[in-house]
Amino acid sequence: MLQPAKTKYRKAHKGRIHGKANVGNTLAYGSYGLKSLEPERVTARQIEAARRAIARHMKRQGRIWIRIFPDVPVSRKPAEVRMGSGKGTPEFWAVRVHPGRILFEIDGVPANIARESFELAAAKLPVKTKIVTRVAA
Amino acid sequence: MRKEVGTGGARAVRRQGNVPAVIYGGKEASITISLEARAFAPVARAAGFFNHLVDIDADGKKIRVLPRDVQFDPVSDQPVHADFLRVSANTRIRVYVPVVFFDQDKSPGLKRGGALNIVQHQLLLVCAPEKIPENIRISVDGLDIGDAIHMESIKLPPDVKPVIGARADTTIASIAAPTTVQEEEPVAAAVLAEGEAVAVEGAAAAAAPGAAPAAGAAPGAAPAAAAAAKPGAPAAPVAKGGDKKK
Repeated sequence: MLQPAKTKYRKAHKGRIHGKANVGNTLAYGSYGLKSLEPERVTARQIEAARRAIARHMKRQGRIWIRIFPDVPVSRKPAEVRMGSGKGTPEFWAVRVHPGRILFEIDGVPANIARESFELAAAKLPVKTKIVTRVAA
Repeated sequence: MRKEVGTGGARAVRRQGNVPAVIYGGKEASITISLEARAFAPVARAAGFFNHLVDIDADGKKIRVLPRDVQFDPVSDQPVHADFLRVSANTRIRVYVPVVFFDQDKSPGLKRGGALNIVQHQLLLVCAPEKIPENIRISVDGLDIGDAIHMESIKLPPDVKPVIGARADTTIASIAAPTTVQEEEPVAAAVLAEGEAVAVEGAAAAAAPGAAPAAGAAPGAAPAAAAAAKPGAPAAPVAKGGDKKK
């Protein structure tokens, strides 16, 4: 799963996701992309599940690009612990996804395989998505 | 033509179902116009939109322009604003021209499951507005996995030149091994390392206040993980114990 090699601080604020994606909202590498339509925190586990779904459906063809990186440590308090006494321990990594953000890109596969792969991947993600295609020259 | 300018004016235009746009360039002042969104949206998304000259009728005055930019809403993908450049016959312009690859069935690399890794989807060229090529066609005939197409091997039409500074060895595309095969193994390793990763952070944080902060923070994930995994290493348990809330 994706996670930073090292971080400056162990814990991060929860944060809020405001507005639309003003970076990473266009296709940069591939011919097909999966775009988020909602703001949500996407975890490294969800990204990996989606990536596997795409890779397995594409079999041995094509290339995949992951356009998001989970760099926000998310903490949780243990079960049955009273409130207070400081912030919980970091449990997993997530990325704050803005609406309009391209999550994955793929290339080198036919359009129907690309669409099916993204449909499988979208089922693993906590956001509504749509498939975007590069304009053919 | 539209009189309202700025954010408020542009929003007013959009509320009426139009797309605000601007025409600039030449030696005249820029003028603001609005286009009908329903007619403009499919045209703006069409292939070759930025490579064709257009005549815009602005209050009865025909202006020859080249579309330079269209901003799209990142969620709805509807056009939000458009830029047009006034052109005359003797101007030379920089324009991005899309690259089209063909002969995929004659490439041994692609037949073996390799992927065409397009580095430059478009080429920045300098030419006269009337001579903008529709696209640049490049054959991948004979290319195997690991081979690449460079700028020097591309034949451009006459009177069309690459932008100054475009080096001859700039890679346009390459035949890459499929990532689906390469990635399966490292992912399995990453999953195993996941449990250690939290300890890595704890080790780094615990080491930081000590006499040698660089020793804990500087190494990458692997050495720190090894230190945390050692039963005698005190750093990780101390950090974890401090964080547990009872």
